[in-house]
Amino acid sequence: MQLALKHKNQTLAIKLAAIALLMFGFGYALAPFYGAFCQFLGIDRAEASLTQAGAALRIEFDVNVPEGLPVTMQALDSVQTGKAGGVVKARFMLRNDSDQALTVRAVPSFAPVRAAGLLRKLECFCFDALTLAPKESREVTVVLLVADQLPPEMGAATLSYSLQKVM
Amino acid sequence: MHQAAHTHGGHEAAYESGWARWLYATNHKDIGTLYLWFAFAMFLTGGVMALCIRAELFQPGLQFWQPEFFNQLTTLHGIIMVFGAIMPAFTGLANWMLPLMLGAPDMAFARMNNWSFWLLPPAAALLLISLFVPGGAPAGGWTLYPPLSAQAGMGMDLAIFSIHLLGLSSIMGSINIITTILNMRAPGMTMLKMPLFAWTSLVTAYLLIAVAPVLAGAVTMLLTDRHFGTHFFSAAGGGDPVLFQHIFWFFGHPEVYIMALPAFGIVSQIIPTFARKPLFGYVSMVYATCSIAILSFMVWGHHMFAVGMPATAQLFFMFLTMLIAVPTGVKVFNWIATMWQGSMTFETPMLFAIGFVCLFTVGGFSGLVLSIAPVDTQMQDTYYVVAHFHYVLVAGALFSLFAAVYYWLPKWTGYMYHEGRGKFHFWWSMVWFNVTFFPMHFLGLAGMPRRIPDYALQFTSFNSIASVGAFCFGLGQLLFLYNVIHTIRGGVGPAPARPWEGGNTLEWEVPSPAPHHTWESPPDLTTVRRGLIAQAVEHEGESDEPKSENRA
Ligand code: HEM
Ligand SMILES: [Cu+2]
Repeated sequence: MQLALKHKNQTLAIKLAAIALLMFGFGYALAPFYGAFCQFLGIDRAEASLTQAGAALRIEFDVNVPEGLPVTMQALDSVQTGKAGGVVKARFMLRNDSDQALTVRAVPSFAPVRAAGLLRKLECFCFDALTLAPKESREVTVVLLVADQLPPEMGAATLSYSLQKVM
Repeated sequence: MHQAAHTHGGHEAAYESGWARWLYATNHKDIGTLYLWFAFAMFLTGGVMALCIRAELFQPGLQFWQPEFFNQLTTLHGIIMVFGAIMPAFTGLANWMLPLMLGAPDMAFARMNNWSFWLLPPAAALLLISLFVPGGAPAGGWTLYPPLSAQAGMGMDLAIFSIHLLGLSSIMGSINIITTILNMRAPGMTMLKMPLFAWTSLVTAYLLIAVAPVLAGAVTMLLTDRHFGTHFFSAAGGGDPVLFQHIFWFFGHPEVYIMALPAFGIVSQIIPTFARKPLFGYVSMVYATCSIAILSFMVWGHHMFAVGMPATAQLFFMFLTMLIAVPTGVKVFNWIATMWQGSMTFETPMLFAIGFVCLFTVGGFSGLVLSIAPVDTQMQDTYYVVAHFHYVLVAGALFSLFAAVYYWLPKWTGYMYHEGRGKFHFWWSMVWFNVTFFPMHFLGLAGMPRRIPDYALQFTSFNSIASVGAFCFGLGQLLFLYNVIHTIRGGVGPAPARPWEGGNTLEWEVPSPAPHHTWESPPDLTTVRRGLIAQAVEHEGESDEPKSENRA
């Protein structure tokens, strides 16, 4: 191939590769752009910033480990305040005290019961069974979406987890 | 021919033999061949998966597969057909034919060409290996929507890596195609005199450079969401799974034109050849190709009508989608006008090309139906959608590829295929294709969801019909394999340089089989003029009569 053509080809290839690289970046740029766009249009993206001001709820987290199960469990954020429309995240510490791997499942319950309708679990360690290696300790989380409208008479709700061994 | 004289000049001895010839291949014809065989192998792999799906759906109830595995089958079938079969086949054709049609000695970057092919086999291997890892292959559909894909097992990581390789391969292939077309045309061949196949390859390559990196970005975000604690798509971390759908379809809709435009190019070569008339409305074909490409960036939202979207946005996407029917309609009318009053003959490539025009139009109409937002909310994720996109992809992309293979096979192998068996392959495929996919329209209208391994009793009869059709269709493709191998082994006899009376683009100027090296010195102006693509120029060429005296 003559030199001039080779040079011309290479310049074009570099330009095209640059377009490809830019478009890769464009994919990422869509993320913040999308966020701004939804906010501008007021489309609910389950974001704390869209919370309606005012109504708040005290949320308490409680844990129960049955006797004989060699597991320690502890709520790390045992009391939190949830705002209407907001997201609440709570952490728990789980530790396997035995020398054997253990599989446990956490069964959630709300008090009062109707709080279950107001606090929707977006993500929860209780969705799956958890297998803990011998002596392993692990931090797990639950993420709750607080309802848009909170009944004013409800001051507090408790979310309690009971551990069960999975055979 | 003067061309033959060049090729015996010592170059032939230089290329290696045996496996090394293929592993180190830098010749555009060798690489084109590699691409085409790879695509065919993937077509059979994806096809076997489709048959596994149809076997399960022959009757209601669970017969063969667990639902998890069924989902893996549909997902892999889709990914393999799109990225493994159709796209590489078009790249292979472009590699084989573009230099020949443009009068260039080879593709612009021979080494990179070798790389872009050899990235494909490892990518395919990753996809197939994913079937055997814990958790199995990805099972979230070829669209890989989170949260399903964010929670899947390591098969998903393999698929993501595979998509990275496939994307890289496409981008390198596209750079090669664009550079070859823009810089290496024979003197005298202006942009508006190129064969239409070159035009559609060019526009497709631009589309790929624009959107393949966007898909790569989307799956990379998925990967970091899965393993490195980013929250692009995880609602719990403030992200949004719908964002993935937007990014995916920003890639995904142009992607369907990446699979359709080269097909348009192929039939635009074939129909004029067998109608023995220049392509009607060459320039409008070029403009239609470009406008389809541009519009395809603005309509991704029509895949997300059912996700929830402000009404104004729905209207915007709905009208823009309908607008694409205009340039597409221009194309269909031009093909028909080309055939109008032509002296048509119906050799196998022409049959597949006409089959393409008819069936693609059906697919286009069902697409138009789906573009209506309120209708789409009803039809989304039903078998109507499955019917629609198979009319576009099987009858569109696949049939045009069959047409291309039969059309250029004499040029590739130097032999003629068996016309009777070619025609049989066409009619067999045509009939069973419709038996397979036409009933799916009704299944969808009656409400059968897609991606289910079991279904309600009232859907039984149409599903059985579709399954029988699919098995017969699949069987027929073995005949295609037989036809190709038979031709390579000598077929029904040697093919002349110009096996089709009406073929006048540059590739028919070189002997059959096309020698390893062609156009080492570009074709002279007369040759280019003669081929002058009988497409555009013959019109303005009426006044240009002296052309004939050049021929002497
Ligand atoms: C010709 C034989 C073929 C048959 C019998 C067939 C059959 C099927 C079936 C039964 C499904 C599953 C539909 C569902 O449950 O959602 C499917 C999905 C799909 N097929 Fe095909 N197919 C064929 C060829 C092709 C080709 C050539 C392509 C080319 C691109 C293709 C692309 C797809 C895609 C993208 C999906 C969607 C996968 C998903 O939902 O994730 N198919 N096909
Ligand atoms: Cu689309």
